[in-house]
Amino acid sequence: MIRDALIWCLVAIAALAVAAAVVLFVRSRGLGEKKRRSEAALTQQMHAAESQLAYARAELQKHRDEYEGTIREAEQAAEESTKAVLKGAARFLQSLAAEQTTLLDDIQRKYGGHPVLADLLDVNHANAQMARKAQGIAVMCGAPLGRRNKPASVYDVVRSAQGQIRNFHRVEIMQQGGLALKASAVAPVALAVAELLDNAASFSQHDAPIEVTFQRVQSNLCIVIDDAGVSMSDEDRQRATALLSGDIVPQLSQLGNQPKFGFPVVGLIARQYGFKVDVTGVSRYGGVRAVVLLPEELWTMEETPPPVEEAPVANIRRVESRSQNTSRTMHGLPKRGARQAPIASVPDSPAARTAPRAPEETGRTSGRGLGAFQRGTLSGRNLDTPSFEGFEDE
Amino acid sequence: MRDEPDQDLDLELTSPLVPLFVITGGHALPPDHEYGHTTLVTAGEGASAAARTLSPEARQVMDLVSDGFLSVAEVAGHTHLPLGIVRILLAQMEGSGLIIVRKPVPRAERADRELLSAVLDGLKTRFGA
Repeated sequence: MIRDALIWCLVAIAALAVAAAVVLFVRSRGLGEKKRRSEAALTQQMHAAESQLAYARAELQKHRDEYEGTIREAEQAAEESTKAVLKGAARFLQSLAAEQTTLLDDIQRKYGGHPVLADLLDVNHANAQMARKAQGIAVMCGAPLGRRNKPASVYDVVRSAQGQIRNFHRVEIMQQGGLALKASAVAPVALAVAELLDNAASFSQHDAPIEVTFQRVQSNLCIVIDDAGVSMSDEDRQRATALLSGDIVPQLSQLGNQPKFGFPVVGLIARQYGFKVDVTGVSRYGGVRAVVLLPEELWTMEETPPPVEEAPVANIRRVESRSQNTSRTMHGLPKRGARQAPIASVPDSPAARTAPRAPEETGRTSGRGLGAFQRGTLSGRNLDTPSFEGFEDE
Repeated sequence: MRDEPDQDLDLELTSPLVPLFVITGGHALPPDHEYGHTTLVTAGEGASAAARTLSPEARQVMDLVSDGFLSVAEVAGHTHLPLGIVRILLAQMEGSGLIIVRKPVPRAERADRELLSAVLDGLKTRFGA
């Protein structure tokens, strides 16, 4: 009996345990399900948040790009309008300087025999430097250079460049061959060489020489500029090369308070007219060697026409009558004939000085008589005064 | 920026390429009494050898004076250079021994146009012109 009761008890306990286990199992499954569901919901929320974030980021980037674009456009526009304004002003200066150069040249010729000539030469030198600066600014702003319509020897082109820097007497041009630049290349090469000479002069001692030589290398003509200054650092060299190749064009606003547009100007015109400039070499004095390399399209071997063509006789007569007050050199012969060209022993009358080419008014007969008298006195004096013919015969 | 070279008018440079102050090398004018209009110059001995390194203008002067005496004014006329520039060039060339300079015979001092006319008139009336 007791045994049966025990067995029933055990059965009941087992049944209870099984029931409890089943209940527990069912319950834990429910919990797991619930947990999975809530997890799924959370991940979904997280994804949504992430995509919102990405969208916001993209939006931000877009605005940032737009902003930067606008700034760049504004800078570009400012640069362009500054250039346009400056270009107009520089062109004005450029043409004024050119006009002034022509004027000064006329004045120099007009007062060629007057002591004021020395000062006029100084003024012209200052003007030439100003003209170079004006040309430089104009080039930086994209304006065209003034052009020359005659070919010129490379020697003269370098001399023209030489005249555009302050200490021009330091420049020594070593050779002169029959090398000529075509008309279209004259002005740009002169400006480029002037900028390079200026650079050479300002980076070397104020009395050190600057040597210019010409070399033909294959079909190219090289203008070599050697200075005795300090050589450049590698960094400077790289920057100079980039500027001179025209790859980097610095903006006007980046040029600073004391703008140095030498190299940028050279780079721009070199690219525009198709020649190359290199400053990476070392000169024989340990300074910088600048080389302007002109391809064969820009130069010729032909002898340039002489700067002064055979003068028309009328022209000679005019010049000489002005400077000598008589028409005796109208014979135009380099060799003097003493009898035909007596030395004036009679002071010129003011009338003859102001109107030397109107002898008719003064009376032909008295003039002829005076001439005869003059010749007579001269031949008389020749007896004791050695004539210059004696010197000529020596 | 290199394009559109000209919608605005082209600037043509008409002034001489080589400025005069470069031709003289920045030297000062010689004193007034040197190289007057009628001063005569000629090439010195052995100047042609040294002439190779000269500037074109100085060489032109050398060519002009190589076979005889030429006055300063004539040199100026032939080279188309202003008289002052020629004087500076000549001073340099004389300094380097390329040319010989001969001063003009000084003017007769007492010669006076009125006086001479009077003498002439007198002679005419005396002998008949």
